[in-house]
Amino acid sequence: MDSVPGRAKRLESAISICLLAILFLIAVGVFIKQMPKQKKDLSFLLPYGFKTLSEIEVYNSGNLYEKINGKAPLYIDAGFKKLSTQRFASQADENLVMELYLFDMARARNAFSVYSVQKRPEVENLPDMEFAYKTSNALYLTHGEYYIELVGFSESDELLAAMAEVTRKIRTNLAVHDDTGIPEIEYLPQDNLVPGSIKLYLTSAFGFEGLTDIFAAKYEFNGETITAFLSKRPGPRDAETVAESYRNFLRENGATARKTDNKTLEGKVLDFYDTTEIVLSIGPFVIGIHEAENQQSAENLAVMLINKLSGAAKAVNND
Amino acid sequence: MTEQNDKKIDRRKFLARAGKAGISIAAAGTIASLVYDSKGPKPGIDTEELVNFPAHFSVPAIADKTMSIVQGPDRVKTVNKAIELLGGIERFVKPGETVAIKPNVAFASPPMLGATAHPDLVAEVVRLCHKAGAKQVVVTDNPINDPASCFTLSGIRKAASQAGAKVILPKDHHFKHTNLERGKLIKNWPIFFEPFAKADKLIGIAPVKHHHRAGASMSMKNWYGILGGRRNIFHQDINTIIAELPMMVKPTLVILDGTEVMMTNGPTGGSLADLKRANTLIASTDCVAADAYGCSLLNLKVSDLPYLTKAQVAGAGTTDYESLKPVSSKV
Repeated sequence: MDSVPGRAKRLESAISICLLAILFLIAVGVFIKQMPKQKKDLSFLLPYGFKTLSEIEVYNSGNLYEKINGKAPLYIDAGFKKLSTQRFASQADENLVMELYLFDMARARNAFSVYSVQKRPEVENLPDMEFAYKTSNALYLTHGEYYIELVGFSESDELLAAMAEVTRKIRTNLAVHDDTGIPEIEYLPQDNLVPGSIKLYLTSAFGFEGLTDIFAAKYEFNGETITAFLSKRPGPRDAETVAESYRNFLRENGATARKTDNKTLEGKVLDFYDTTEIVLSIGPFVIGIHEAENQQSAENLAVMLINKLSGAAKAVNND
Repeated sequence: MTEQNDKKIDRRKFLARAGKAGISIAAAGTIASLVYDSKGPKPGIDTEELVNFPAHFSVPAIADKTMSIVQGPDRVKTVNKAIELLGGIERFVKPGETVAIKPNVAFASPPMLGATAHPDLVAEVVRLCHKAGAKQVVVTDNPINDPASCFTLSGIRKAASQAGAKVILPKDHHFKHTNLERGKLIKNWPIFFEPFAKADKLIGIAPVKHHHRAGASMSMKNWYGILGGRRNIFHQDINTIIAELPMMVKPTLVILDGTEVMMTNGPTGGSLADLKRANTLIASTDCVAADAYGCSLLNLKVSDLPYLTKAQVAGAGTTDYESLKPVSSKV
């Protein structure tokens, strides 16, 4: 009879020890969680001769507005994850100050979108980098899923040189998770393309909610600039649905049909307040021309786009 | 505990355990009753704590002296001329008065980027107020992003202090809750109150900027800085909130600086490529009218900024600035 209570006591002791161990682990976990964390700053990107001028600031989608106020929705709508910023100053001249903005946009195409829609006109594209440009006081680029701004607090060649060094360090020292590239860019014809003019509208392109994930690019024909666009959809049926709904949207807002000699474009060419709009689908792609002044140039560019995409559409269909 | 084990408990042990359990329950009940709040949490704030934003700043209207537009590259000269055309600083500031100046200090960025009011302009308005005999001039704003950095990097702290102003950074005790009569969004909302409550006059100074969400940020949007709390929620209804601001804030004067206009990538900008020199400065007692003119500097129409018409409908001012016969000049 004594052996049974003995086993029960041992069992009780074992359970008690287990419970105490669990409570201890919870306490350790809480302690670790509440330990003041050493913030990792951006000093690993410091250019030679510069020092950090401020602590790193980190923002998420809940408090991004604290840093950039009304521009926060632009990033949040494009998949924003985190912003890290820090100011650097020259050790020799503290008036030479720059601020580094490192936007983690989760995906490379999101980063490209915010880069492209904010791109300033008439800027100098940087050589050897796919998406990078500079102005007289700032430098902008993408790197994997990151969109990066380097803003100088004055116009200075020394600052611009330091920014260039930061970009080199970013490319070598900042690991990325999304280096898949953006295949749609390759689908756009290269002839007559205005360099650096490609933009990615993730939502509501040209004022129409149904046009999402739209790549738009500018082309020059005899002094006229025309915008072409494309979007890859899940399949041909979806592409045609989007194309038709955009044509309907244009018609509801005053567009009328235009005659064309091109059989492929029949019924797809619209007059929209004296500009030409062309919208159609090729396989899984929605393509079009937006607000062109000259119908013939618009149709020529549409044909270039169709020819370029026909092969891609077949390849996608064969996948 | 097993059945066999239970049998080992004698009467004394049972009573001792039952007693301990009873004491534990009684202790827990006593503590709970002591800390129990039968009323529950308050849904916001007591009505008696609500305040109204001061409404005594306006000066009497003078025909054809409601708005002035001055062209010129030098802000010091243009602001002097613009105020002179409206009757001079003495019309707006009387000897012995306390003047609150509310520049746009929303960002920790240098003056050359045009995201904040220009320090030269703020300093000159401070000087003008002192010249008119102001007892004290206060320069204040409520930037969300570290106010000290915003005032320092924008150059406004140094310029205003050197011109003799007292720079006030926002503190928790400066905020009170308000209800805007006829307002839809400003309901039981904290506002930056104290520095303005002690002032006799209020002057707003704002740059002309593109704004990603609102289309443009000018003198009306400048009052956004008076809102406290998590004011970003108003971005969901940006036109209504901007229209409500001039319903709440009736300033003595607004100065809208279009010397360099942020044409794109606002409200932060970042590149000099975002700016365009327009060499225009507007002074007005009607901030709706000032902004209606200001939008033309951004190549926008009044209809492009729905908050302008909303504010006009609410009686906060007029979008038909030409009806005010603005006086123009070049310096």
